Amino acid sequence: MGDNSATCSSVYCNQGWAEVLTHMSPYGYANFGVAFGLGLSIVGAAWGIWLTGSSLVGAAVKAPRIRSKNLISVIFCEATAIYGVIMAIILTNKIKEPENPDYYLEEGWDYNGYYYAGYGMFSAGLSVGLTNIASGVSVGIAGSSCAIADAQDASLFVKILIVEIFASALGIFGIIVGIIQSNACTFPIAALG
Amino acid sequence: MSTPAPQAAAGNIATFNILHGFPEALVRGMRSSFLGDQDYHHLTQCETLDDVRLNLTETDYGDAIADFNAITPAVLQKAAIEKLVTEFKYLRTQSVEPLATFLDFITYEYMIENVMLLLKGALSGRDINELIEQCHPLGMFKESTMRSIPTFENSARGYADLYQTVLVDTPVGPYFAMFLQESSEHQGTDARHVLEEVEIEIIKSSLIKYWIEDFYHFVQKIGGETADIMGELLRVRADTNAINITLNSFGTPLNEPAMRSSDRKRLYPAVGHLYPAGTTELTEVSNEEELGRVLDLFPQYAAIWSMHASGGDKSIDDVFYERDVQSLELAFESQFHFGVFYAYAKLKEQEIRNLVWISECILQQQKDEINKFVPVFSFHSPWRGSKRR
Repeated sequence: MGDNSATCSSVYCNQGWAEVLTHMSPYGYANFGVAFGLGLSIVGAAWGIWLTGSSLVGAAVKAPRIRSKNLISVIFCEATAIYGVIMAIILTNKIKEPENPDYYLEEGWDYNGYYYAGYGMFSAGLSVGLTNIASGVSVGIAGSSCAIADAQDASLFVKILIVEIFASALGIFGIIVGIIQSNACTFPIAALG
Repeated sequence: MSTPAPQAAAGNIATFNILHGFPEALVRGMRSSFLGDQDYHHLTQCETLDDVRLNLTETDYGDAIADFNAITPAVLQKAAIEKLVTEFKYLRTQSVEPLATFLDFITYEYMIENVMLLLKGALSGRDINELIEQCHPLGMFKESTMRSIPTFENSARGYADLYQTVLVDTPVGPYFAMFLQESSEHQGTDARHVLEEVEIEIIKSSLIKYWIEDFYHFVQKIGGETADIMGELLRVRADTNAINITLNSFGTPLNEPAMRSSDRKRLYPAVGHLYPAGTTELTEVSNEEELGRVLDLFPQYAAIWSMHASGGDKSIDDVFYERDVQSLELAFESQFHFGVFYAYAKLKEQEIRNLVWISECILQQQKDEINKFVPVFSFHSPWRGSKRR
């Protein structure tokens, strides 16, 4: 590193991770929000379907009548992925590029709104993604027990289904909060006034 | 001997199903194949064994007995065990580590019993083919191994040869090696002159003790729910063995003061609720009264013992069977653990015992004795609230 001229000499430079994170583009944050929201939701859904599905096929060997009925558990897990897709669509629609794309942002650019939108959408994506993992695993465990219980005693199916509905509601909490979080996030498309 | 750690983790509530969800759901589905209260009611009303056969065709045993025109208790038992073994082998083929090793551990008990059956049969000079016929099909070795077991000679040297040439390759070899090592350490004491019949029983008890300890440590290494539930089942099993060994030793050379602390003490498993305080006290007892006094210190066994001591119509084995059914049924109450596989095998064994009992009673026209069996998953069990259903 003989040449020092390229090194930033400002006091705000090279201050560690805080600097890295604040210097990432809000557009980048927003798109990562979409990625995490969708990706983690689908991890949750896939996990849940795995937990339910393996028990379902096993329990259906001795009690084949449960096989169609218990697909509801799989659908509940699938709903978790749909929450992630809904959130991803909402967030993607909020990402707007500037009216006059240029190398530099225009004079008088609304930096507060710009960063707010980026962080807000990133967090909204994480909220939805993490709640949906928890919800998906939870629905999956309940669904697995549901299949096994239904195979023994058909009257238990509806009772355990209610447990599954509550587990599935966890994901709805996530998506509601995610929508509220992202509501105020609007990317500025032009300079103020 | 140190128990090897399981080759993979069993997983917790969120990851168990990744590897073991299918076999677990299978074995839980098989729970529906147990005979219900209705079935037992019909069976006990039967007048002849043909009626029994007719009633069984309606149940899960239908296919197993379809090939027999007439059944006897022995035929019924054989067919039922065959069915259990088929189911067990199916589960075994569907399982991966560490469940596969767990299921193998269940079969080791039958292997030990088979080895002992062959040894005992050879001592009394019985035909080898007849002996192999009697072996439990879950604990079978290769044909050549089975045939070479009875060719040993009944001495310490003979056992060493048997181990080195035949048993070393079998899964129960390590238990045999431990037995040989321990008895060579005790060679100095003069308490070795026991009857040959007792000798075989001592070998068997030792091997079963090593098996219980090994199995127990294995499930503890698997950890989680399996360690809790299966650990409890094996602790209870170990205690039952310790009590039975003590009880059966009364009136045999094993109960002589010198033998009690040297030989009998070695047969008590080093796991369980009775270990170590209880087994130390068990070492000292010389008759039933003293045994009862020791068991009084353990509430769960005091109740069992009082039923035995009061001389009711239940033997201590019956009381133990009843307690076993109760604790094995509990294994089905929670999910994501291996205990159900063991519980399933053991509860099916109980069911087979019930079938044999009922058919024997019918064969011998002992109708007043016919209800002395322990139904599995019965709604009338004393430990289950009668309010349900």
